[in-house]
Amino acid sequence: MKVNTLVKFALATAVITFSGAVAHAQQAGGSLVFLVQPEPPTMAGYVSTSGPIGLLGPKIYDGLFDYDNDGQMVPVLAESVDVSGDGKTVTFNLRKGVTWHDGEAFTSADVQFTIMDVLKKVHPRGPNSFKEVVSIDTPDAHTAVFNLENPAPYMLRALSSYESPMVPKHHLEGQDIKSAKLANNPIGTGPFKFIEWKKGQYIRLDKNENYWKEGRPYLDRIVGRFVPDASTRAAAMEKGEVLYAAYNAVSNVEAVRLNKEKDNISVTTDGYSMINPMALIEFNTKEGPFTDAAVRRAISTAIDRQYMIDTIFFGYGKPATSALSSNFAATGLHAKMPNYPATGDIAAANKILDDAGYKKDGDGVRMKAMFDLIPYGEDWKRGGQYIQQVLGEIGIKVELRYEDVPTWLKRIYHNYDFEMNLNYFYQLSDPVLGVHRHYGSNMIRKGTHFVNSSRYSNPDLDALLSSGMTEPNAEKRAAVYLDIQNILANDMPVVNLFELEFLTVYNTKFKGAYGSAMGAYASFSDAYID
Amino acid sequence: MQGIPIILAIVVMNFFLLNLAEGDAVDVLAGEAGSATPEYMEEMRKKFGLDKPLTVQLAHYLKNVVQLDLGFSFRHDMQVTELIVDRFWPTLLLMVSTILLAVGFGVLLGLFAAVNLNTWKDAVVSVFALITYATPLFWVGLMMIILFSIKNDWFPTSGMENSAAFYEGFDRIKDIAHHLVLPTITLSLFYLALYTRMMRASMLEQYGQDYVITARAKGVSERRITFVHVLRNALLPVVTMAGVQVGALIGGSVIVESVFAWPGLGMLAFESLFARDLNLLLGIFLLSSALVVAVNLVVDVIYCFLDPRIEVN
Repeated sequence: MKVNTLVKFALATAVITFSGAVAHAQQAGGSLVFLVQPEPPTMAGYVSTSGPIGLLGPKIYDGLFDYDNDGQMVPVLAESVDVSGDGKTVTFNLRKGVTWHDGEAFTSADVQFTIMDVLKKVHPRGPNSFKEVVSIDTPDAHTAVFNLENPAPYMLRALSSYESPMVPKHHLEGQDIKSAKLANNPIGTGPFKFIEWKKGQYIRLDKNENYWKEGRPYLDRIVGRFVPDASTRAAAMEKGEVLYAAYNAVSNVEAVRLNKEKDNISVTTDGYSMINPMALIEFNTKEGPFTDAAVRRAISTAIDRQYMIDTIFFGYGKPATSALSSNFAATGLHAKMPNYPATGDIAAANKILDDAGYKKDGDGVRMKAMFDLIPYGEDWKRGGQYIQQVLGEIGIKVELRYEDVPTWLKRIYHNYDFEMNLNYFYQLSDPVLGVHRHYGSNMIRKGTHFVNSSRYSNPDLDALLSSGMTEPNAEKRAAVYLDIQNILANDMPVVNLFELEFLTVYNTKFKGAYGSAMGAYASFSDAYID
Repeated sequence: MQGIPIILAIVVMNFFLLNLAEGDAVDVLAGEAGSATPEYMEEMRKKFGLDKPLTVQLAHYLKNVVQLDLGFSFRHDMQVTELIVDRFWPTLLLMVSTILLAVGFGVLLGLFAAVNLNTWKDAVVSVFALITYATPLFWVGLMMIILFSIKNDWFPTSGMENSAAFYEGFDRIKDIAHHLVLPTITLSLFYLALYTRMMRASMLEQYGQDYVITARAKGVSERRITFVHVLRNALLPVVTMAGVQVGALIGGSVIVESVFAWPGLGMLAFESLFARDLNLLLGIFLLSSALVVAVNLVVDVIYCFLDPRIEVN
């Protein structure tokens, strides 16, 4: 965090000092080679929100809007948007003169098709984001009118090119969208055109000479390289073979070292506020030792969140203070709750368990459990080991289990064959998009990943969730989410641990890519090499 | 001809072994995508043919294989054959250069050690072989990168070609050769040790044979005995070993490919296992088993040249 502040300070100073020269500093030309980890399965960002697709897709496809670092909407394919008084009619005024990479014109028919036939049907999150959209009218080629069943204030937070890319109707219409050729030969309106994909090596994108934004992009080429080994990735960064690595493609330990040793390498935690990753523990609330909310509260009380952040994640992270990320404070939805102490309190946790009647046996053990760990690398294993130790101190003896991804997904979200599970969730840009799926009764969906695996079901909460979804008034909406956070701080089907802060490591000669809240999932049209 | 039933048996065995793993390609795809509805996943399973009983899936696969169609990778949305061929050339390049370097230097070093038996030269070669054999490959690879790429700017850290420049023609060949150096040396070191030890032992064994005594009695020079008589016989076991290993190496070296981001089959197989992309994985296995069979045939032919007593029937 210190580093982040320093970077901001340095940038601010630079802007003040050179404000006259800045306008001329951007140079056209040059290639950006950056790390994409792991290699994406396809480039179909309209079917999958898989991370590595997000790193490349938004360079090829545009969204209707982008978001700046303060969360403000920035016009992209839409020049403006009007929401009617009752919140049920949303009109987008589209940019004129935009063409697809194959030369066809971009029109309101593409928007209509993208939302109704693609995102609402095959996108993993689209059915939620555009749930209320009943139909889209296209009075002319540059106007799209969304007719909603109920107001959907969160929808305007889901219009980025990563979340909702606009796709060409003429390449998908009449085909099976999930197996269309477009998946491996993407054609968008974005600043860069797809050139080739050498499997196991790189994806190459070249400048779109006909981009709608005058004089952009600056870069001639963007190459996303795939390097499977973490140490080699750090070496490539150190040597300057790659200039940019987001989503911890360079591990925290290496990032901290490079930042210290190399003058031309810096790190930032900006660019993840629309993703909002939250580390957490899911509990099986139907079977096993954690059906009692008191036990779950005791676990939340015992864990030293700050210690986990400092020792395992090199200080990058913020202790969770409620079921919602503190980034939602910007829209007034976050409130600090009890039962989420930043530093653990073993004595208080023991007392909760004593009061609830769980006796320690001769070995100091109250209960035993199996603890599954998300199979996404060493940090999570270490996190699991720390929690195992803490729980031992309050008489809960856990055994750790670390499997491969398909086995783990099947166990947690299909077979429900688990007791507690270390995981992280993207809370995204609005609770409706990222948080509701974890708690609603309608989100207990056997076989669907990253939804309500706790099988927690509370009619009061369900009612609150649905009013939070449609309440257009900001103050009333904040009150609804206060109640939601209160219920979840008491019942704790999921214990939030800390807000993860992913690191972007970059070479300081790569500039202009840090202005979007989408971070690495942005278009890079303003990026340049100095 | 015996090769074909062997390959088919391997396919069937692989098929059942791989299906023992929990979870399928749809689970992984849906997991990566964030979340997907059960109906969506059911539909995908149907499309991929994963909803049918295993035996039906196997019969379908075998039918395709017999027609030389390796099927479709749903994960990559591409033909398996296309994916494999794309990754086969980098693997072949790395493996051929590795085998040449390892066998070449291994034979030379082993010969050198055997000729200078029990002198300090022999000791140096043996210790060198022992150390390279015992050092983990990934560590050697990383040390190579640190020494020759970061500390000294001689070679690129990873990849197969310069992805900022995209050279054409002869420059591209030079660029690829430049990228090939570190992975080849790393992978060779391990096999080099093996061939050195083997060659040395094999030479010593041959020196003790009756025909060497006979040759000495006839007054043949030591030089001629070593290079004409002993060397030729001593090569036989080395060639056998190299033959077996070429086959295994075609499957790729996951570690070296991973450390140097070399786009070979090993990484592809490794990734497709975790993605449960069984069609692709089976295709790679099929290719490597076919190659093991083929290479062993070639080795049999080489035998005849080295030792005229062996005949091809």
